[in-house]
Amino acid sequence: MSKKKSIVTFAIFLVIIIALYVGILLLGKPAPRAETLGETMKDAVLHETMKVDLFGFMEVNPGLISAFTVTGVLTLFAIFCRIFVIPRFKEIPGKFQMILESLVGIFRGLAKSNSPEKNQVLSAYIFTAGVYIFVGTIFELFGVQVITTSGSPVSLPAPLSDINGAIAMGGLSYLFILGGGIVNNGWHGILGTLKEFSLPLSMSFRLFGALLSGALVTELVYYSMSLSFVLPVIVGVLFTLLHALIQAYVLTLLVSIFYGEVSEKKLEKPRRFRKEKKNSNNTITPEVSK
Amino acid sequence: MKVPLNIDWQQILLHLLNFTILFAALYFFLYKPVKDFMEKREAGYKKQHDDAEQALADAEKTKAEYEEKIAGAEEEIAAMKTEAGTKNAEERARVIEQAKAEAVTIVEAAKKRGELEHDKIIAEAQREIADIVTTATEKIVLSADVSKSYDEFLKSAEGNAKNE
Repeated sequence: MSKKKSIVTFAIFLVIIIALYVGILLLGKPAPRAETLGETMKDAVLHETMKVDLFGFMEVNPGLISAFTVTGVLTLFAIFCRIFVIPRFKEIPGKFQMILESLVGIFRGLAKSNSPEKNQVLSAYIFTAGVYIFVGTIFELFGVQVITTSGSPVSLPAPLSDINGAIAMGGLSYLFILGGGIVNNGWHGILGTLKEFSLPLSMSFRLFGALLSGALVTELVYYSMSLSFVLPVIVGVLFTLLHALIQAYVLTLLVSIFYGEVSEKKLEKPRRFRKEKKNSNNTITPEVSK
Repeated sequence: MKVPLNIDWQQILLHLLNFTILFAALYFFLYKPVKDFMEKREAGYKKQHDDAEQALADAEKTKAEYEEKIAGAEEEIAAMKTEAGTKNAEERARVIEQAKAEAVTIVEAAKKRGELEHDKIIAEAQREIADIVTTATEKIVLSADVSKSYDEFLKSAEGNAKNE
């Protein structure tokens, strides 16, 4: 196709798109929303009205349903890999094997470089946490719909944009660091962890804030129809992908750094030095008294 | 109890339960098998590497040993050569010395023998002369013919000389 022809084709497409856009804007009187923008945003943060029924057991935030769904999907994927892929692993990896291996390898490398002494449990933990955060955030993009108890549909958000999920993740990470400190370092480990008392708060709210902001911005953009044409691709998809990568990386990195710090063996130099000084004094005094 | 931000402890626990299940599932079905496989492969390659290193070290050691042996042999050969050289020279010197000594003795002996012979010949000649003189004298004395006696004497002397 010649250059001129392709320019003409492109121009035609552009004209059609602009015409449709203008037409929609002129004709479109969007159906009145059930709730205002403020209400929607507030509910995305506080989850006061949008509750989902959990097997008739209790009413929960949609984020928890997302969490269960993500876990279910990931578990199925893991079982699938265990049954069909891993038994056929080869010495020279194929494409899928390469993906799995580099996934495990990335988290093992992160654990090893930040906590050189103890990293077996750590690497398993950050592997799970990283995969959970990444997949959970990406999950938002699929926009799976569930029906709330009030009867209106809601698309499932990222599990960690629910404050309960974020607190669970941050608090668990802190407890994990604390546990590592106790197991590897005893009292020193506990003290080293308690020194970072703001860590659970910062980790929880970093996750919560980052993921919620993504959801809110998307909500904001979708609320106004004139903005919901090209923009969602950028704010929705790109932001979500970036969030997924960044948050997964940040949390796993923080956990490995602090775990490495509290589990590292402390040298008890000062006390021994004092003892030696005392001993040398004792040996000198009798000679002086002579 | 109303917690700000609608934080719900029950839901936090549910999230924790969810994460624990996920951890167990991912650990047993995905992380551990992949990790084990990678470690096994790594160990295999490490073993291969170690084996190769070991073999190389062994070869180096053997080579060094052989080189040492060769150097030793060369040294030994050189030592043997010099030893043989000195021995040869010594032997030669000894042989020459001996030959010289022998020559001297031979010459001495020859001289002695020559002298003895000489003496013997002289003594014999003297004795013969004495004999001749005695016989001639006897004849002269017995014949009492002086002129005859002279003739006799000369004859016998001639005859003796002829016999000699």
